[in-house]
Amino acid sequence: MSENAPVIYAQDLVKEFGPVRALDNLNLNIAPGEVHGYLGPNGAGKSTTMRVLLGLLRPDSGVIQLFGRDPWKDAVALHRRLAYVPGDVELWPNLTGGEVIDMFLRLRANEGETNFSTKRRDDLIERFDLDPRKKTRTYSKGNRQKVALISALAADVDLLLLDEPTAGLDPLMEVVFQEVIKEAKAQGKSVLLSSHILAQVEALSDRISIIRAGHIVESGTLSELRHMTRTTIEVETEKSAQQLQGLSFVHDFHAEGERTVFEVDGDHIREVMDSLAGLGIRSIVAHPPTLEQLLMRHYGDDLSGRGVSSSTTKKVS
Amino acid sequence: MTTTTVTQARHAPSPASGKQSSLAGTWVLLRFMLRRDRIRTTVWVLSLGVLGAYMAQAPKAYADNEAELHDMATLFADPVTRMMTGPGFGMDDPSFERMFSAAYVLMTYLVIALFSIFTVVRHTRVEEETDREELVRANVVGRHARLTATLTLGVVANVIIAAIIFAGAAAEYSAEGSALVAVGSLAVGLFFLAITAVTVQLSEASRGASAMAGGVLALAYVIRMGGDAAEQGGNALSWFSPLAWTQQTAPYVEDRWWPLLLPFGCTVVFIWLGYFLSTKRDVGASLLHARLGRAEAKPSLGTPLGLASHGLLGGLRGWGIGLILSGLLFGSFAQTMIDAADDLPDDFAQLFAGDDMMLGYLAYMGVFMAVLVAAAAVSGITQLRIEESRGRAEYALSAPVGRSYWFGSHLTVLVVGVLLILGLTGLGMGIGAVASLDEGGGEYFGQLFLATFLQGSTVLAVIGIVAALFGWLPKAAGGVGWVIVGYGGIVAAFGGLLELPDWAYDLNIFGHLAQYPVDDISWAPILWLSLIGVVGITIGLLGFNRREVNRV
Ligand SMILES: Nc1ncnc2c1ncn2[C@@H]1O[C@H](COP(=O)(O)OP(=O)(O)OP(=O)(O)O)[C@@H](O)[C@H]1O
Ligand SMILES: [Mg+2]
Repeated sequence: MSENAPVIYAQDLVKEFGPVRALDNLNLNIAPGEVHGYLGPNGAGKSTTMRVLLGLLRPDSGVIQLFGRDPWKDAVALHRRLAYVPGDVELWPNLTGGEVIDMFLRLRANEGETNFSTKRRDDLIERFDLDPRKKTRTYSKGNRQKVALISALAADVDLLLLDEPTAGLDPLMEVVFQEVIKEAKAQGKSVLLSSHILAQVEALSDRISIIRAGHIVESGTLSELRHMTRTTIEVETEKSAQQLQGLSFVHDFHAEGERTVFEVDGDHIREVMDSLAGLGIRSIVAHPPTLEQLLMRHYGDDLSGRGVSSSTTKKVS
Repeated sequence: MTTTTVTQARHAPSPASGKQSSLAGTWVLLRFMLRRDRIRTTVWVLSLGVLGAYMAQAPKAYADNEAELHDMATLFADPVTRMMTGPGFGMDDPSFERMFSAAYVLMTYLVIALFSIFTVVRHTRVEEETDREELVRANVVGRHARLTATLTLGVVANVIIAAIIFAGAAAEYSAEGSALVAVGSLAVGLFFLAITAVTVQLSEASRGASAMAGGVLALAYVIRMGGDAAEQGGNALSWFSPLAWTQQTAPYVEDRWWPLLLPFGCTVVFIWLGYFLSTKRDVGASLLHARLGRAEAKPSLGTPLGLASHGLLGGLRGWGIGLILSGLLFGSFAQTMIDAADDLPDDFAQLFAGDDMMLGYLAYMGVFMAVLVAAAAVSGITQLRIEESRGRAEYALSAPVGRSYWFGSHLTVLVVGVLLILGLTGLGMGIGAVASLDEGGGEYFGQLFLATFLQGSTVLAVIGIVAALFGWLPKAAGGVGWVIVGYGGIVAAFGGLLELPDWAYDLNIFGHLAQYPVDDISWAPILWLSLIGVVGITIGLLGFNRREVNRV
C-alpha cells in the first residue's frame, strides 16, 4: 500500500451487540504520524472501536482498514505493526511486570529476530518508576497500566492503540506519559488515544474525534472544532448591551449593571463585535471555547448553557 | 446495629466470644446471599434432598424379589464394588434397607460435600477475589460477618437436605437407621463446610481454595477405598476418612451413633481454625505473602506455546501429582484384591477369581483414572475460557499471534499434558501393583501401563468435543465438559447399580473401550474415539478462527 494511505480508515462502520448498536455508521480517518484524540462518554463505543481495529470483533457492515488492509483477515500481519493498551488491563497474576513486558516484546519481535531493544525497555521502566520484579497481582491499577504502556511503547511499531491509557496514572506519571507520546510522535508513529481526560488530548492530539452513541459527532483539528462552537464574551459597556439578548446566535445572556456575559456562535462573532463597538466598550475579554464546551454540547442532550458557562468560568479563573 | 467501637485488631478468633462488632452485618449479608442465590440454593437443596430420598427407592427398583436381592448382595461381596460404595455392612443377611445404605448413600454424600465446598468458596473467597468484599467491608460489616453468614447458609441448607433424606428413607425403612443416614449426610456436609472455611483462608485464588477442599474430599474417598475394599465392614484405614466415619454407623445393621462424634468434632475444630486464620490475614490476601520474582522473562515465555504453558501447567501439575499418587495407591491394592477374592465363599465367586479378579479391578481403575484425567482436561479448557472473559486473551491476541495459533498452543499443551499424566498414572499403577504382589508382578506391569494409556483415546475424544464447543459455542463448553465427565464418573463408580437403559450406558463416552487386560484390545473404539478427538479439535480451531473474541 502507498505510504500516504490512511493508517486507520473506517467508513459507515456498524457493530451491533444484539439490540445494542455499539457503533452506528462510524467514520474515522487517521493519517500516518498523526496523534488522534478519541473522546466520548462511557459506553460511547471507544473500546468497541479498538476491538474492531484489532480484528477481535467483526463489524456488521461498513469498511474498516488498517494500513489499507482488513484487520479481521490480516490480524497477525497487522499486529506486527501495532501495539495495544487495553482499557481495563488484566494481567497474568503469576507473572511479574517485567515478564509480561518481555513476553510482549518477544511476541512482537519479527520472525527470526530474537532480540529486542532492552535499552528502550529499561529506560521506560525507569521513567515510569515501575518495579518489574513484582507479581502482577500485587500491582495497583496504575502499575498494571504502566506495564501495558511500557510493553506497547518499547515495541518498534507504527501504530499505538491506547484505550484510556492514563485512567489510573498519577499526575507525575501523566507528565511522563505526555513526554513519551510526544517522542513516539516525533518518531513518526501514529497514535489513537481514547480518553475522558480532555486536557491530555488537547495537549497531544493533532486531530480529535468525538464519539457519542457509536457515531462520530465531530472531528477535526482543535481549531476546526473551536470554530464550530461558541466563544464566551465578558464585556463592560457604557450603554446597556440588552439589545443583544434577543439575537439567535447569542446564548446564555447575563447582564449585571455595566457588566455583561454571554456566548456567541463561532461564525457570528463579527456581527456581535460590530454592535458592541457602538456601546462604548470599557473592557472586553473573549474566551476561546474549551474542549469541555465541545464535549458538553455533545454529551448532554440538554444544551442549555449552564454547564457550559460554569465550566468556562472555571477554566478562566 | 449499635456497637461499641472495639479495636478490631485484637479480636479473639471465635465469634462466640460475644464481640458483637465482629459480627455486625451478618444478618444483612445472609439475606443478601439468599437473595442472590435464591434459585441456585433452592435447586441444589431440593435436588440433593430428593436425590437422597429417591435413593431409598433404588434397591426396590433394582431387585424385585428376595432372590434378586441376594444376587445384589453378592455384588457387594466383591471388593471392587465395596471400594466404590462403602463398607457393605449386613450383606450376609440382605434387606432392602441394608442395600440402600450399602450401595446408594455414599453417592449422595459425595455430591453434598461438593455442594458445601462450592457454597463456601462462592460466598467468601470469590467475593474477595473480585474485590466486591472490599466494597461490602467498607460498610458497617464486622470481620467475621461474611464467614458466619456463609456458614449459617450452609448449615441451614444441609439441615434441610438431611430432613428431606430422612423423610424419604423413614417412609420406607426403620426410623433409627434412616435417622443415621440423614444425620450422616449432615455430618459430611458440615465437615466440608468447615474444611472449606479453612482452605479459603489459605489460598488467594478461589480456584486454589476449591482445589484444596476438593483434594481433601478426594483423599477422604481414596483412603476409604483402601479400607472398605480390604474387608467387609472396612479395616483400620476406614477410620481415617470422614466419608468412612459416616458409614461406620452401619445403619439398619448395628445402628451405632458414636462414630458421628468424629466428623462433628472435627467440624467444630476446623470452623474455629477458619475463624482464627481469618484474623491473621488482610482482606483479599492469603496467609502466604507474594515474593518478588524475575525482572525479565525467560526466553521460553515469549512464544504462544510458552504463554500457554504458563497458563495451564500450574493446574496440570496439581492434577498430575494427585492422579499419579492415586495410580500408585490403586496399583498397590492389587494383592488385597487377590486375597479378598480368595476369601470369598464359593457361591459368591462371581465375575472374576484370583488373578483375573485383580486384573479386572485394575482395568476398571484404568477407566476411573481416565475419567479423572478427562476432568483435568476439561478444567484446562474452562481456564482458557477464563483467560478470554477476563480480557487476557484479547490482550495476548493484540500481539502478532494468530487466533488458531493461540488456541492451538493451549490445546497442544493440554493434550500433551494430559497424555503424559495418563501415562505416568498407568506407570504408577503398574509400579504399585508390582510392588504389592507376592508373586508374578513383573508380567502385569506392561499390561497395566498399556491399559491406562489406551484410555488416552477417550480423553482425546472429550478434549475434541469440548474444544469444538469452545470454538463455536464457548458458553456451553465448560458445562458440557463437566456433564460428560461427571456422568462418566457416576456410571464408572456406580453404573452397575443404576439399572439404566442400554442407550444411557452407550452415552457414557468412557464405556466403549474393551476391558484390557481382561479382554483383548479392540482397536475399533480406540480409532473412532481418537478420530472424534482430532476432528473435534480441528472444528474447534476453525470455529475459534472465525468467531469474535470475548463477545460475552
Ligand atoms: N460484548 C458486548 N456485548 C454486548 N454489548 C456490548 C459488548 N461490548 C460493548 N457493548 C456495548 O457497546 C457499547 C459501547 O461500549 P464500549 O465498551 O465500546 O464503550 P466505551 O466508549 O469504551 O466506554 P468507557 O468509556 O466506559 O470505556 C456499550 O453500550 C456497551 O454496553
Ligand atoms: Mg472503554
